[in-house]
This record gives sequence, structure tokens and C-alpha cells, in this order.
Amino acid sequence: MGGDYTVVGSRARRLDGPEKVTGKAVYLDDMQFKGMLHGAILQSPHAHARIKSIDTSAAEALPGVKAVLTAGNVPDTKYGVSPARYDENILAIDRVRYVGDEVAAVAAVDLETAHQALELIKVEYEPLPFVLDIDQATAEGAPQLHQEYLGNLTAEVHQEFGEVARGFAESDLIRTDTFVNKRQDGGFIEPPRSVAVHDLSGNLTLYSSTQVPHYVQRTIAMLTGLSVGKVRVVKPYVGGGFGPKASASPCDILSSLLSMKTGRPVKIAMSREQVFLHCRARHQFKHVMKTGYTKDGIIKALEHTCYLEGGAYSSFGIATVYYAGSLLAAPYRLPHMKYDGYRVYTNKPACGAQRGHGGVAARACFEQQMDLVAEELGMDPIELRLKNIMETGDVSCNDLSMSSLGMKECLEAVQGGSDWNAKKGKLPPGKGIGMAAGFFVSGAGYPIYRSETFHCTVTIKVQEDGGTVLVKTAAAEIGQGSDTTMAMIAAEAIGIPLEAVRLVSGDTDYGIDLGAYSSRTTLMTGHATREAGEQVKEMILTALAGELGVERERLDIKDGVVEIKGEAVDFGPLRTKYLKEHRGWGGMPSGDKLTFTEAARMAYLKLGTIVGTGKYKPPVLGGKFKGAAVGTSPAYGCSAQVAEVTVDLETGQVTVDNITDAHDCGQAINLTSVEAQMEGSVSMGLGEAMFEEVKFDDQGRVLNPSLGEYHIPTVLDMPRMRCIVVESGEPNGPFGAKEVGEGAIMPTIPAILNAVHDATGVTITELPITPERVLMALKQKKRDE
Amino acid sequence: MLLPRFSYHQPASVAEALEVLGQHGDQAAIIAGGTDLLVNMKHGKLAPRHLVGLEGIDGLEEIGADNGSLVVGPRLTASALAASGELSGAAQALALGAASLGSPQVRNRATVGGNVCTARPAADMCVPLLVLGAKALLAGPDGPRELPLDEFFLGPGQTAKKPGELLTGLSLPRPAEGSGAGYEKLGLRKALEIALVNVAAAIWLEPDGKTIKQAKVALGAVAPVPMLSPGAEAALTGQTAGEEAFAQAAEAAATDAKPISDHRGSAQYRREVVQVLTRRALGQAWQAALGQ
Repeated sequence: MGGDYTVVGSRARRLDGPEKVTGKAVYLDDMQFKGMLHGAILQSPHAHARIKSIDTSAAEALPGVKAVLTAGNVPDTKYGVSPARYDENILAIDRVRYVGDEVAAVAAVDLETAHQALELIKVEYEPLPFVLDIDQATAEGAPQLHQEYLGNLTAEVHQEFGEVARGFAESDLIRTDTFVNKRQDGGFIEPPRSVAVHDLSGNLTLYSSTQVPHYVQRTIAMLTGLSVGKVRVVKPYVGGGFGPKASASPCDILSSLLSMKTGRPVKIAMSREQVFLHCRARHQFKHVMKTGYTKDGIIKALEHTCYLEGGAYSSFGIATVYYAGSLLAAPYRLPHMKYDGYRVYTNKPACGAQRGHGGVAARACFEQQMDLVAEELGMDPIELRLKNIMETGDVSCNDLSMSSLGMKECLEAVQGGSDWNAKKGKLPPGKGIGMAAGFFVSGAGYPIYRSETFHCTVTIKVQEDGGTVLVKTAAAEIGQGSDTTMAMIAAEAIGIPLEAVRLVSGDTDYGIDLGAYSSRTTLMTGHATREAGEQVKEMILTALAGELGVERERLDIKDGVVEIKGEAVDFGPLRTKYLKEHRGWGGMPSGDKLTFTEAARMAYLKLGTIVGTGKYKPPVLGGKFKGAAVGTSPAYGCSAQVAEVTVDLETGQVTVDNITDAHDCGQAINLTSVEAQMEGSVSMGLGEAMFEEVKFDDQGRVLNPSLGEYHIPTVLDMPRMRCIVVESGEPNGPFGAKEVGEGAIMPTIPAILNAVHDATGVTITELPITPERVLMALKQKKRDE
Repeated sequence: MLLPRFSYHQPASVAEALEVLGQHGDQAAIIAGGTDLLVNMKHGKLAPRHLVGLEGIDGLEEIGADNGSLVVGPRLTASALAASGELSGAAQALALGAASLGSPQVRNRATVGGNVCTARPAADMCVPLLVLGAKALLAGPDGPRELPLDEFFLGPGQTAKKPGELLTGLSLPRPAEGSGAGYEKLGLRKALEIALVNVAAAIWLEPDGKTIKQAKVALGAVAPVPMLSPGAEAALTGQTAGEEAFAQAAEAAATDAKPISDHRGSAQYRREVVQVLTRRALGQAWQAALGQ
């Protein structure tokens, strides 16, 4: 599939690879500034308490302390992620709502002094009753977290598409199943950190380990009162994000305020424990799905209820509760769908967005149920799915439009790639094979705040010497490979080799880019990059056509060389001029073709600096109902996976041996990066399926706030993987490309669950799939038989 | 999350070390690999004013022989023990346990002396040492003394070593012909894992190659300390090696275990797993003893 590309679709070496593998890459902790102070944050030890008094005098008197902030001397502006639910304070006003809630901040000459100062701040708390789970939070007379949102409900969603009652009337088989996942941590390598530099001209530069420089810029401007133009956010190399870094962190906000107060650069870094206390990662979801199928296996209706345990603040929660419902409307034809979702406040760290936002547990529940339906109908799970999948051109009951969808190709690829037909139903006890499918947005259709803003703008400047181009994008490279992807798209659009592209990114001074979330960058920033590149190419070729006296249409640039259609053209004078400029230089152009370098130099001499600009925003998407925006996207990626497992029937321990993974990314820009995203998604999905759970004691304190006790997969836990890239050619994507970053996680959990069921006959409906849970289920099954 | 301030001492001999320890009493902590101590200090759980490093003392990093015993130096790392050729026969248990500790980076730092003195109930090297009948060799102000390891562990993180004492070695019986070891560990993931249950087994066969002369089973994470299972030992001694004897020993081990429920797993599940892992560890030890 795909066009005749030179750079796109190759396995280009990552631009940041050499710096990262040699340890030369600069991350936030490597950054030093003259006179830099170190900040630290005092956090609540109580799940819920009234603050009776705060005495900072001893901390302020400590030599080396330069500033102490409490709610009393910072703005009381409420903020958050979605403007519809700004429910956070910069520092706790009168009340703390979870263990870890920010109470005070200090800046001192070194970290040791800052920590000492925290110990000197005297806070008098009056503990209040608290709620740690959904049942407690929604019980009558439960303690309330926010007076504005009574019933401890952040948001509730009630949607019905089609007529669910009719769908069930047409069904022969109706099943109701439940599913529960566990609160997750992002598990990124680099904990959030920031350095704020407020300079003497009144400008604030914030260096931040963030996924979203643009949103951080807006939040900081809103909270500091500085105009947006005076706030610059710069993202150095970032060690992963996965969602929890997709909004302004306390490090961002408090380092900014401390720098403004002290006039000195201030760094604040979270420890690993603080990462767990801050959370903003995957919610705990409880799904109940009642689904109707005909005896031929056609899905007729879904009635779905979901409760999200959200923690003390909204963060992304409103979007999450919508996503948990809307993302079930595809990739299967589902004519009737009803959804009731509730996002509940508890006195725990706030949950937010994480890879596969809102859709991962829902997908696991639906796909697990589908296998149980297949079993009841005596149908092969892949056959059942093939009967129901959507195709390119289909629109879901909630108005999600599949402009390309290689679902069939993905299913067939994993069927063949895993040797499914030879294994399904034929494996010995303790060995199992299972599969699942999934889909995801390729960029959110709308920004987080209501706006008609472009979602990204990109500038490409042709360096005046003509040999290289400089791509400037505010997009956030956080390890996913967007820098390399954008450089490749620019090279392809202009017609030059990748080596001729330089790229700078992650700086709000370079333009608008909403950031690295919702799997948006390749499609959206890719469009803007391509447009800027094509503009540059057009300017150069138009100038060249004039210079050579030929029609513009006869000229093209490919692989760094100007191609001229039709009869030969004498470009001798142009080359001579170029050679004269470089008398005595080596490596000058020769041969019978004019180079891009010569053409671009000529264009500069004629026009001045050549600059192309690109921009992108999606067309108006989605229906008119409340919440219709969540789930819309200009394109959707999809995937299927087959998992093969071994279950130790005596201990219940599950080993995932193989995963065959097919993903439709439209068109791979960098094939190696696509596969890496697929592998990374499987690693993350496997962790969530098998190990991961943030645990709390009965006082709301995290029991396992370290990567020793919170288990993410090690390399030894990874299965053998076979990645199959499906390219359906997305009409709304640059060069046909769409997402792979998040959609690839969707099938992993249900594929493993279905394989465990195949191996043992037991159905695990609560994550993680611990040995104990499996063994207890095996024993229960034995008792039932 | 910063290390508290401390003075660092680097004695050149055991005598010097004892002098420093005597001077500072409970204000001093001994540091070898630091994989537990430094983490606890960073978390504010421990704040010793004096750290005593052992790297200046000769002879603590080797396996020596003494009167029919092997003496394992306390500063030997898990990596070194996992790769040691001297731990053959039943003594292989220690190598197996060492190989399953933490990750390669942790194994390169963590020492057997540290593992023993930290005395965690699931410690990967302590459970194997118990089946080997290891003795702690202690130096102290009142002279050296020896203590069987099952009397050394008193509780989680608590040992019979007095503040002024230093562990100078672990004494094991010399590897014997016809002996073998097994080690089984159940955790969630394959590395960087504290065992949910771990079991070490050692078997010494009679010259007939069938009769069990002696066997020991030790259990981890099912009591406040790593523990021997006397029931398993009794069930095996004098029996013919094989599935039947191992199953009986496994049942006895499950009875001996005193697990509790915590956030990692329930007592009931741990007891079940003790039985499975004991059977498997014994099978492994038997195969090793037969030279297979």
C-alpha cells in the first residue's frame, strides 16, 4: 500500500538516538542556571482534613530559605484540565483532600535546606471523615469533597443511540458481564520536574518535563496573570509521559510562582514517591455490559454502565468518563448503544488520562464478553468478529466516521501470523490462545479548551546556504519519535534526503502545538509539516522555473535532485554561479542533474530567506448531542492481537509466551518507530493485565509508591512479539498516516484474558491476573463441577 | 529523599572495625552493597550518624575452607555467588538463590552478608543458607562466636547480632557427593521481585543413590523470619527419594508455614504455594543430587 515514497516508510535512524544512547541528551535534571534555587513541596499526610492554621515563620527564618508559599500568598484562581471543571487550587485552601495534596512550597539555596524548611512548617490539621472507594463516596451521608459537585460526582453521562430496547428484542443471546481494572501509575522513567526562570524583562521561561507545552503555557499564564506571550514553555528531552504529563504539574506552577517571587531560577523535581502521590494516571473502572447478539453472532445492542474511581480532583476525568462509553461504538457495527457513566470523587490522588484514554478497561470487558458469546454460539472468536467489523466508510451510531479501517486485514494478519487455526481449541491443558481487537482515535477532534485554534503550526526555513532546511515545531518529542517522524515528513514533502533536515521542537516560541496526547502528532503535526514543506518546495521550484525559463509543471525535486521533465535544460550558468561562490570548497555539485542545494540557493538569492508555514485543524466532526466531541477524530487506527499463554495450573501463574500484533497505522512513516510503539503498547498492556495496581491502606496512603513494589514488566516478562504493520492509507492523514501510539494497547488485556480462559476454562473479570486470582478461580471451577 | 549527613569510616581490619563500632554504638551502621541501607536512609527510616564500610578489610570477599567447612565471605556479591564454581552439590542452593535476587544491577552490589543481616522474611540468600545449615561467624568485643542461622534470625529486620558485632563469614558444610539443591520462587514478575513465597531444598543421598540420608527444606515469606521446616525434614529422612516422599514433605512444609495475609497475597494462597514449591524444589534437588 501507499505511494512511491523515498523517506516515508523507511527505517530511518532516530534523530535523537545517538545523543540518548551515549548519555549526552540533555534532560531537565541536567539543566543548570546561574543562581538557581531548589524548590520543594509540602504535601498533606491526611486523606481529608481541615487546615486550622499554618505557621511558616520558622521555615522563613531558616538561613538559605528564599521564599515560602502557602494558599495565603498565591492566587486563589481555580484551575484544572477541562475549563468546565476547574476544581484545583494552587495550594490547599482551608482543606486537603488526599494524602499528597499540596499545602506549601519553599525555595532555598539547596535541596537540603528546602527539605529542612518543609519540616519547619507547622500545619495544624483537623482530620475529617474520608471516602476511599466508589461505594463509600456514593453512600448516603458520605463526606463531600467539593461543595460545587455534590454527591461526589465529577460528571455523569447518559447517552442512548438508536433504540436499545429494540436491539435487545431482536437478540437471541443476551449476556451481562462485569469487569474491574485497577488504578495504574504511568511508570515513565523521568518523574515530572521543572525549572522556571523569571527574567528582568518580566518574561517567564519554564523548562518542563511535559507532554503539552501549549497547555502548560496557558495554565501558567492564567495562574500567574502574565500574558500568554510572556510565558514561554520549553520541553527538553523527556523520559516518557503516557498521559499523566498532559497537564500543568505542581512543579510547573510552583516553580513559576517561586521564581517570580524570588527573581531567581527555581527548580522543582518530583521524587518517584511523589509521582505516585500525584498520579493523574489510569482510573479504576468498573464496567457492567449487557449485550445482545443474534444466534448468527450479529451484535444488536449494548447497555453499558461504568463507574470511574477518580480521586480528589477532576483532571481529565470528564473526558475519561465520556471516552469510556463512546469508544465502544466501533470497530464493530453496533446499531443501538446506551451508556451511563459516573466519575466519582474519592480522597485519593486524582486520576487522569493514560495511554488508550478511557477505553482500555471498556475494551477489555467488551472483548472478553465477545469471546464468551463466541463460546456459547459455538463460533470461532475471529469469525464472530469478522461478522461484525466495520469497514472503511462506515459511521458508528455515535457519529464516529471510519475514513479508513483495516480491521479485516488486522484480524486476518494475526490469524495467519499466529497459526491460529492450528492452535485454537487444540492446545493441551495449561496452554491457551486468545485474541482481541481494538481501535482508537488518531488525535482528539477538539482542543481541551473550546477554541477554533489551529491544533498545530509548523515553520520550515530553508537555510540560506541552500543545503539544509530547518523545521520548527512546538510538537512534544517525549520519546515516541515525533522529531524523527516530522523530519521524515518534511524530507518527503520537499523531496530531499533526511540528512538535509534539521529540526527543533518542543518550544512554545516555535508555534502552536497542542502536544503529545490522544495519538495526534503524526496525523496533525504531520499535516502541518507536510504543508510547510510543500510550500517551500513550491517557492523554490517557482523561482527555478523563472530562472531557467521553463514551465513550473516540468520541475520536481526528488531525493535532493531537481528532476526536469521533457527536453534537457541548460542549467550551466546556475551551476557556475554556485561554484564561484564556493571556490576552493570540496564536495561541490557535479553531474548532469541540478541539486536541491543549488536550486534553493538560487531561490534565496532571488527572494530572500525562504520560509514555508503549515497548519492543521480537523474539520468539524461529530454529532450534536452532549459530549459528542469526545471520541471524534479525523481518523481511527485499529488493531488485533493474538496472545499465547502458559498457565501453571498448580500456582496459577500465567506466562505470556507470544503476542502476534497487527496494527493499521494507515501508512508507516518510520517503520521501526511503528513497531516500537506496538511493542511498547504490549508491554504497558501486559503490565496492566498481569501486575499493576496502586494499592492504598485504610488511611488513603499509597502502599507501594516505588517501582520495586509497583510492578511494571521487565524485559524478561515480555513475550516474543511478532509485529505486522497494516497500511490502509488514511485519506485524512499525511501520506496516508494515522495513529499507532495508543490504539495498539487496546487488544492486549482482553487477548491475554481470553488466552487464559482458553488455557484454563476460567474467566478472570478483575485485574491484575495474579497467580492467586487464577488459582482461586481454578479451585472455584473445580468446586462448581 | 536526600541522604542524611553521616561520617564514613573505612577500617583496614576487623579489629579496627570493631573499635569504630564500639565507639559509636547504635549510631553506627555497617555498609556493604548499600542496596537496603541507602534506600532506607533516603526514605528517612534510618539515620545512622556513622557508616562503616568494609571494603578496606582483606579476606571478606572470598570463599575459604576451614576444617571441613566452606567459609563464605560476607562481602561476596550475589553476582559472584551466582557464578561461583565452589558452590557445588547442596551448596548450589546459595548460588540459585543469589541468581534470583533483584536484577543484574542489584546483584552486582548486594552482598550475602547484607542479605543475612537485613533479615527479610523473603530474602533470596537467607532461605538457601538455612537448608545448608549455615552458621553466622561473628566477631565482637568479647571475641568471636558462632550462631546457627536459624537462631540468628529473630524477626523482620532483627537478628541476634549485637550492635558492636560484625559478621565476618558464613560457614557451610563442604559440598558432599550425592547432594543437590533446589530453589523455587514465586513472584509476579521474573526479575526485581520480592518473593510471594520462596522455598529452598537440599538433599543428601545415601551411597545407594535412592535413600535420603538427610534433607532440609526452608521457607521464605511465610513467617516473620526465613524458616526451616522440621516437618519436611522428618518426612524425608531415611525415605526413598521420589514423588511420594516429596509430596508428604510438601504437606508437612505447608503445615509448618505460618503465613499471614497482606497486600501481596493471602495466607491461604501462600500455604497452597508452599506445598507446590516444596515439591518442585525437592524434585530439583533430587535431580541435582543424582547429577542430572
